[in-house]
Amino acid sequence: MARGEKADVSRRDVVKMAGASGLAGLAGVTGSASAQEYPPIGNFPIQGEAATFGFTVPQSGPYSSEGQDELRAYKLAVEHLNNGGGWVDSWNGLSGNGVLDKEIDFVSGDTATDADQARQTARRMIQRDQAIMLSGGSSSAVAIAIQELCQREKVQYQCCLTHSNETTGKNCVRYSFREMFNAYMTAQALVPPVTKEFGKDQQFYQLYADYTWGKTVESSVQKFFTEAGWSQINSVATPLGTKDFSSYLSQVPRKKTDVLFLDHYGLDGANSLSQAISMGLDKDMEIIVPLYNRPMAQAAGGAIEGVFGTVAWDSQIDNQPSNDFTQAFQDKYARIPSGPAQLAYAQTLQYAAAVERAGTFYPPEVIKALEGYEYDNFGMGPELMRKCDHQAQRAVPVVKGLPASEQKQGQFFEIVNLTPRDTLGYACDEGPAARCDLGPYE
Amino acid sequence: MSVLAEVLTVLLNGLQQGAIYVLVAIGLSIILGTLKFVNFAHGALYLIGTYLGLLVTLEINVTDGKLADWGYTPIGLEWGFLPALIIVPILVFGVGLLMERFVARPFYDRPDTDQILLTFGLAIVIQEVFKILFGGQSYNFARPGWASGQVGLPIIGTFPEWRLYIIGITAAIVVLVYGLIEYTDFGLVVRAGTRDAEMVELLGIKLSRPYLMVFGVGAALAGVAGVVGGPLYAVNPNIGTEVLVPSFLVVVIGGVGSIAGAVLGGILIGETLAVMVAVAPQWSQVGIYVLAAVVLLARPQGLLGSEEVAP
Repeated sequence: MARGEKADVSRRDVVKMAGASGLAGLAGVTGSASAQEYPPIGNFPIQGEAATFGFTVPQSGPYSSEGQDELRAYKLAVEHLNNGGGWVDSWNGLSGNGVLDKEIDFVSGDTATDADQARQTARRMIQRDQAIMLSGGSSSAVAIAIQELCQREKVQYQCCLTHSNETTGKNCVRYSFREMFNAYMTAQALVPPVTKEFGKDQQFYQLYADYTWGKTVESSVQKFFTEAGWSQINSVATPLGTKDFSSYLSQVPRKKTDVLFLDHYGLDGANSLSQAISMGLDKDMEIIVPLYNRPMAQAAGGAIEGVFGTVAWDSQIDNQPSNDFTQAFQDKYARIPSGPAQLAYAQTLQYAAAVERAGTFYPPEVIKALEGYEYDNFGMGPELMRKCDHQAQRAVPVVKGLPASEQKQGQFFEIVNLTPRDTLGYACDEGPAARCDLGPYE
Repeated sequence: MSVLAEVLTVLLNGLQQGAIYVLVAIGLSIILGTLKFVNFAHGALYLIGTYLGLLVTLEINVTDGKLADWGYTPIGLEWGFLPALIIVPILVFGVGLLMERFVARPFYDRPDTDQILLTFGLAIVIQEVFKILFGGQSYNFARPGWASGQVGLPIIGTFPEWRLYIIGITAAIVVLVYGLIEYTDFGLVVRAGTRDAEMVELLGIKLSRPYLMVFGVGAALAGVAGVVGGPLYAVNPNIGTEVLVPSFLVVVIGGVGSIAGAVLGGILIGETLAVMVAVAPQWSQVGIYVLAAVVLLARPQGLLGSEEVAP
């Protein structure tokens, strides 16, 4: 079909193609068939022998712990793509000998958990380093900023850790794909186990991080828990990077509130949760942290005991792909990988496999190879990368924090429920997807 | 919760948040006031204090950084909190002496900009060294067991015990330092040096030793602040920078060189933060700068600062 669409070649395309073959000839990459078959777009065709991936991770700011673990996983993914190992050996299409005979090279940059700096980092990777694909994240504001840039520059972006509804909703773009679930699905996944545990008729209070991610968590929690019969007392925005939440927490009405949602992530989440515990709020109410991860749990210590939440992935999820990844990561770094690490690794390999399926790095073809693709090799059960909004439809792990005495290196949660994908999500014309317009392929 | 209880809670929160800034700011203020040395590395001393406190108090599992690579994954002495409160200031006092001798002293007669560049660079170096050793991840500094609960206060209701201790410990240390500066010969020399260093030297008093002591005491205070403030927030290499800026504002508001000024400034900053959070959270950070700007416009020398005598 894709080729069919290309039948009516516009004048512009002819010029582009002429340019491409000219460029290809100049650069001496005449051996690459794809360079002649497809017009140049973004950083395609790839100049030289190596394909460069750009990894945009936060190495400073409130999400830097997550960023470090992501970077480890990215390096591991590149190593496996070039030399085999890990999932490369068990996935169809990947050879362990580079991707489409190109060696994979990478550059990494600090987003500082800040959209402006992230945009600069990404632009440098696209323009100077000629990255064919970018991946990264840990803040939805950052991910959305980068994916908008990528759409403009026609460079593919594999979202890593971004959980805002808007990433594949209002702000969705053709060149970006998200494996991570979103706030909408988190709220859906939390409702059954949480209402079962705490009862049907509860009053809740929310503190949320005041940017795109926190806002969508807040609205999703409000929507689904209100629908389940709970009622919201109040929700209060807190600036990203707040250290001392005591003033916010002391305003939570202790007598009225049954459940407190702390919609914070990373260091902010660790701080707000441990401060809530130190103020004894857990004695008067239940606490829920909608999105959790391991570095965060580690920084919060014993404060996470009994606290519900969801995680991107956890090493305790016991199946072949999960165990293979945990093993490979442990062999390399002598540590248990976190959820963000698994996402980073999965997203990189998913892109590489799509390139192999497409038989070219030409972005529109790679995008088509991913759209509507069904897979079952991420350790999350059967998944679908939906065509209408590029949002993976997948299971969501609901977890509960372990008491300090039972916490071990890399193990902080018990998995309550691996909520299957068919009980979650929304149709293409509803929820966040209703506002998604992906934009052009070329 | 009644309005009165709410107001009192906010004020108590503000007092506690201000207390940490007071501890950091006193050191900053007396070093700046006496030695005329702008120490941007003062936040790094807080950082050193927190990490040393963590190591003395608890056993921590390092999963990142060089220490982990070298095989030192569980480290720490597990001696508890009180030993940390004594040992850490002594160690950081030592760090302060070294800093005075080898970093500050050669720069006393250089312009402020040189001092700022030097100490800012040093702060970054120290921060990076900690990042290399311990990794960039955050650690959980558990509250001491004897103060980990909540206390019931009249009107306010429950309040975290540790936060009350912070106010208490800060108050005790402030009294101690105030006594040292106001009622001892050492303090007399320091105060005289603050007003007019040249005159003191003309009177035959060699200022280099008191200067060394001032720097050491200031550093030790930052170290204590690090230990006391450690359990409030997750510990990572950025905490030094985060505490430095509000502390400078405290010095500016209170008046350089004045201990009472640092206390007043610290309380004002803490209260502004807490009240702004209750009233208009988005403006809480802006609030403290507005406060500083207003004070500087009305009283350039700070609320309790004295006009410069020396040119």
